[in-house]
Amino acid sequence: MLLTLAAALCAPASAQMVQGQPTGRHLTLDLVPESATPAAGSRVTVALSGTLAKGWHAYWKNGGDAGIETRLDWTLPVGVKAGELRYPVPQRLLIAGLMNYVYEAPFALFVDLDVPAGLAPGTRLPVRVKADYLVCTEEICVPEQAELATELVVGDGAVVPATRARFDAWRAAFPRPLGSVGRFELAGGRFRMAVPFPASATVPGEGGYFYPLTSGAIDYAAPQRVVRDGDRLVVETKAATAAQAPTTVEGVLSLEPGRGFAARAEPGQVAALPAQEAGPALGGAIALALLGAVLGGLLLNVMPCVFPILSLKALSLARGGGAGEREARREALAYTAGVVLVCVALGAVLLAVRAGGSAAGWAFQLQDPRVIAALLVLVTAIALNLAGLFEVPTPAWAGERGGTGGAFATGALAAFVATPCSGPFMGAALGAALVLPAAAAMAVFAGLGLGIALPFLLLGFVPALRRRLPRPGPWLGTARRVLSVPMFLTALALVWVLARQAGADGTVLGLGAAMVLALALWWAGRRQERGLNRAWWPVLPAALVAVAALLPVRPEARAADIAGLAGGEAFTEARLATLRAEKRPVFAYFTADWCLTCKVNEKAAIETDAVAAAFRRANVAVLVGDWTDGDPAMGRFIERHNRAGVPLYLWYAPGRDGQLLPQLLTPSMLTALTEERAG
Amino acid sequence: MRILIGAVACAALSVPVSAQQVTGRPAGNFRLTDADGKVVTLSQFRGRPVVLEWNNPGCPFVKKHYDSGNMQRTQAEAKRMGAVWLTVNSGAPGKQGHMTGAEAKGFVATAKAQPTAYLLDPAGRVGRGYAARTTPHMYLIDGKGTLVYQGGIDDRPTADAADIKGARNHVLAALGEVKAGKPVSVAETKPYGCSVKYAS
Repeated sequence: MLLTLAAALCAPASAQMVQGQPTGRHLTLDLVPESATPAAGSRVTVALSGTLAKGWHAYWKNGGDAGIETRLDWTLPVGVKAGELRYPVPQRLLIAGLMNYVYEAPFALFVDLDVPAGLAPGTRLPVRVKADYLVCTEEICVPEQAELATELVVGDGAVVPATRARFDAWRAAFPRPLGSVGRFELAGGRFRMAVPFPASATVPGEGGYFYPLTSGAIDYAAPQRVVRDGDRLVVETKAATAAQAPTTVEGVLSLEPGRGFAARAEPGQVAALPAQEAGPALGGAIALALLGAVLGGLLLNVMPCVFPILSLKALSLARGGGAGEREARREALAYTAGVVLVCVALGAVLLAVRAGGSAAGWAFQLQDPRVIAALLVLVTAIALNLAGLFEVPTPAWAGERGGTGGAFATGALAAFVATPCSGPFMGAALGAALVLPAAAAMAVFAGLGLGIALPFLLLGFVPALRRRLPRPGPWLGTARRVLSVPMFLTALALVWVLARQAGADGTVLGLGAAMVLALALWWAGRRQERGLNRAWWPVLPAALVAVAALLPVRPEARAADIAGLAGGEAFTEARLATLRAEKRPVFAYFTADWCLTCKVNEKAAIETDAVAAAFRRANVAVLVGDWTDGDPAMGRFIERHNRAGVPLYLWYAPGRDGQLLPQLLTPSMLTALTEERAG
Repeated sequence: MRILIGAVACAALSVPVSAQQVTGRPAGNFRLTDADGKVVTLSQFRGRPVVLEWNNPGCPFVKKHYDSGNMQRTQAEAKRMGAVWLTVNSGAPGKQGHMTGAEAKGFVATAKAQPTAYLLDPAGRVGRGYAARTTPHMYLIDGKGTLVYQGGIDDRPTADAADIKGARNHVLAALGEVKAGKPVSVAETKPYGCSVKYAS
């Protein structure tokens, strides 16, 4: 009776389907063991491989707004134990405003079976399972049941290549554990979660999504934003209106379809992401970032990298101590304009570069050795000028001369050089700026410039302050020559940076360019002394030669960085076996670009000189497994060591089994391993 | 036609579209027409506990509880405890489970269901106002108009009628606590079932 009524109500499209009486199953499930002949005492993965009829979907562990999770009822031989049902990364299906976390394409669920030890080879292990699951179309839902069976025979654990390939493909869709715990905050009806994710790891495009396993955390149907913020990924969305906030949030963070990371977060503070549309909260964030930027800029005035440039400005101020009120103001404004414009320009370039997908950071311009070399030449020239080798004529480019143009150029140079110093102090404000809307970010950059210029702006506009400056006199000449010393030191520092970035060749080119220009300036200075006309001409060809010399400066390829630890080679199980057969001690470590703990361990322990030396002494072979792309063979190796993911550190003393090291390493721990062997 | 008018009348309801009701806060009032075309408002039952049940007769999870008689027993027990039972259907025309007034009356008679009223919400306004996501999705509002429970009917999220025995009926448990003047111990659960077939 009810059936006919319900059937009569169905839309024509689904009318051929009698409610509750499926004409056939809409999900075909197969039970596929990875190895049909598992060894006694081992663990074998069994897949429930599912294929859906067109238009139907099956549910993830958390179905979202509807749906239920799949239930398995096993019938297993004595001693065989089934683990928890594991789900691959699902997809989203929004139907009439309700979110469903589903599978539409073929998928596989995994269960691990423990085969007891001590079974004789050839023992038959019949495995049966009853699966209760729900499948739906956009219109109707049908709970289905499937009885599946397979037989395992205790053997050698061999895996057929074709099966291995299927499992490798399925495994790629399973979430990989991120390793480090994140934080989440429920505030003002918003859910925010920050998950550690190394800044160096690439995030493939837009469209990241967090699939929550924990209910009562987020509103499933609400849109999400997944934003990169330094070495974290921040998820922001609407909070669920649950009476009780969850104490921990678990789920899968997916950055590309069918791939994801298992993430867990505990309560904590997570800074709000700037909204796309400016709200009151955003206004506050901008104001705070702006204030931070101005203060930071102010602080930069006493930083070693800006100080020498500022000494130029200080000199010009001292000389112009008696200058007119209007001129002082004009110069102060020009200087400010120079600083602010360069800051804004650098910020704009940075935003543009980042928009292009690159992970450029603040002070990116100083990562190019050509810029360093050019600065070296410039700073040398300024130092020589301060030392009195030559004078800058009236249409001044920069230097201690007064005039609006000179002030502007000094400001521009100060800002350009100040950026590397700003890193450690301004990290927070600039980090905020990089995720703010472009206009707000530019305001923050401008604020930084304003901060740098503030002392001189005050001097320019407050005559009382200016009057307190010492009067000009013969001491000025001495002061000028003394100030050339920090300038030369700056040049020295730049040489060091250049040597680090471009190696010996680049350093020689940079120093050569500086020398050519210095000689020309010296010559020009001599001509100036003799009062010759056009005393400047030798500088032009010299400058051209200098620029030509700088162009071929290239960053030196640094093999050590790419290979990680010096002497490290790519991990393969075959290579590991060979090394162990050679009775060499082996340190194997598994890392991934997206694993923050791994990176910390590498920087703090593995890649330290002490460890490198100890490993060299003990002739330790180092194998590096890069699991960034989730290589399945490596994944199986990691799983065999009872780790779901990276980091994994293994130590193989000669002739002994591998030793699992803790997930947090110290240099002493690693050096102790080598000594243990020696002793 | 009368249903349409009833649906339009819903536009006047105080619940904003697609808002969620917060447990422990006053439940949003609504106006709907029942299977007989009579206008029913939530506020007219002030002073008595009200159970809301989202219904779609075609949904296997709803069948689990109706075919086994569990929903009818729950309705009878709730009414015995003095509660009002409002069954709401938010299925859109053309979607599974959508019913006209006559069809709804047929369903109630056939299933021997005992709701105080079977309400028609084809535009889904009340459903979305309560963020009803599944069928069944249950709500309990106490005599003062406060929402004291929302979630599943019980703690066995399956479509298997065999699971009803031994399950904790969250609605009756909450109602018992309300009648005893105690706070509701389980005030929110994850509802389970088919998704509500709203108009797209």
